[in-house]
Amino acid sequence: MSDPIERTIEAFSRLPGIGPKTAARLTYFLLRAPNDVALDLADALKALKEEIHYCRRCFNVAQGELCSICADPGRDQHTICVVEEPLDIVAIERTGAYRGLYHVLHGAINPLANVGPEDLRINELVERVQKEEVREVILATNPNMEGEATAMYIARLLEPLGVRITRLAHGLPIGGDLEYADQQTLAQALEGRRPIS
Amino acid sequence: MYLQHISLKNFRNYLRLELDLPQGVTVVQGRNAQGKTNLLEAIAYLATGKSLRALTERELVHWLAFEQEPIPYAEVAGDVLRDGIVTRLRIVLTQQGGRGSGSGLRKVVMINGVRQRAIDLLGILPIVLFLPEDISLVSGPPSARRKYLNLLLCQIDREYCSHLDAYTKVVTRRNAQLRSFQGKRPDPTLLAFWNDALVEHGTYIIHRRQEIIARLDELVREQHRILTAGHGRLRVEYRPSLTLIPPSTQVPKAQLALALAKEPVAYTPPPILPPHKIRKRFQETLNTLQREEIEAGATLVGPHRDEMAFLLDGRDVRTFGSRGQQRTVALAVKLAEVQLIEEALGTSPLLLLDDVMSELDEERRARVLHVVRQVPQAILTTTDWDVFDADFLAHAYCLQVNEGILTEKTPDTP
Ligand SMILES: [Zn+2]
Repeated sequence: MSDPIERTIEAFSRLPGIGPKTAARLTYFLLRAPNDVALDLADALKALKEEIHYCRRCFNVAQGELCSICADPGRDQHTICVVEEPLDIVAIERTGAYRGLYHVLHGAINPLANVGPEDLRINELVERVQKEEVREVILATNPNMEGEATAMYIARLLEPLGVRITRLAHGLPIGGDLEYADQQTLAQALEGRRPIS
Repeated sequence: MYLQHISLKNFRNYLRLELDLPQGVTVVQGRNAQGKTNLLEAIAYLATGKSLRALTERELVHWLAFEQEPIPYAEVAGDVLRDGIVTRLRIVLTQQGGRGSGSGLRKVVMINGVRQRAIDLLGILPIVLFLPEDISLVSGPPSARRKYLNLLLCQIDREYCSHLDAYTKVVTRRNAQLRSFQGKRPDPTLLAFWNDALVEHGTYIIHRRQEIIARLDELVREQHRILTAGHGRLRVEYRPSLTLIPPSTQVPKAQLALALAKEPVAYTPPPILPPHKIRKRFQETLNTLQREEIEAGATLVGPHRDEMAFLLDGRDVRTFGSRGQQRTVALAVKLAEVQLIEEALGTSPLLLLDDVMSELDEERRARVLHVVRQVPQAILTTTDWDVFDADFLAHAYCLQVNEGILTEKTPDTP
């Protein structure tokens, strides 16, 4: 695997949604393109892995120890919104309808992909709820079977801790990703959140 | 309700078809592999959003479309008239990424020009489709009978369809979860979630199957009685994988025999259990099976393992019936289905019969044609005009199909 062309194709095809054909097309595009196109990409990728890591409190992407949301004292410190991916935070922030904190699980319980609770940042969430002054946990996992399983699991885990546990209202496209929901629908789902029993 | 117009583009062996359909009877004649069944399949596809024959939707797209269209696609559209209102149904399959991209097909369902889910098609154009291979409904494996029940129930109850869809997803995920517990202590919270999901969706399915089979039992028996002039008494029995009535409460065998001896004709179908009782039984059964299920890494009980039996004078037609008896039962089931859909939806289904007549004797043909004349619309295919009498054809709209091209035809012109 020393041939740089083969190495690049191989590297691209490891990305989600990219098959061998697309990987080859991208590789030959970069080969033909002016030098800075490929080098900018290489620099950006390097910086991405070296400078960005996860917030030690909520596991959102962060440049420092804490992410910009956890570092902002103006945010409501008593509410945590639990999401599957950092991209979901971007979607919720865009609505402007939420002023609390987040917690990123980095996935959802998915037996078909062999992802169990221990593979997610669930223990860290329980710890936060115990240590911080949390009054409400909003479970904003995706409205599909995996997201539902994850929400129920967390709800049962948090039940004895005496916090208010809520789930986004229905109305989001079933089976869809939070990431793709439009702003108004998402804001309404947040507004109409209901307690889980 | 009837289908006024059907339009096909690149569907199976039809490159282009625009066809106005009348109320009443349409007969399509053609040699084998000219497109008779494909036409019925297209209508059934529009009615249910699913292909009843193809394994992949790719098979539905004409091969020329992959070579000649800039973006390969297939389309089925139809206008359904009911109570003076026309509903336009349309399904488009498009090759993603254009020609030669090798990736999957994108399926878009439109109702009156608005994008909808495939499930929203159900019930707008109810159909009863009878293909020669439908004898497998009686002679085939249990999965054939589950498939039959599912299609019937989906057409009359969309909620059933969404529960079925969810249930199927739960079973695959639950099986994987059970396997993940092998050799470990199962996580009780996770297990509870998958059990609850299985029971919630499964209960709805079992409850509806109980009801529909109880009604089928009556309707099929009557159809069968007419078809056979009273030879043998047919019963349709639900054999759920979940034991609905625990053995302790069942009537002891001796007592049952005594009751039967007293009154040999009396038969009381099992009571229909209300959902809350099914739910309770289901939960209890899952609890007792827990260890076994983890060991097997599979969901061992539930609607995905249900069975339905056809009993002729108490003997299972699947194992003991002759080919002829099996065919008669299948026909009785299809004719009963017409009635069942009428009762449930308040409109008669479009009856689609694919080359069914040639397999039947005179009397049964007459019985089928009696039902065909009663429904507002029926489409029959045949290889041979001679299976119909001249009077029947004189009142039918006759078409001939040749390599995916339909032409109007009067039977006396050669
Ligand atoms: Zn943070």
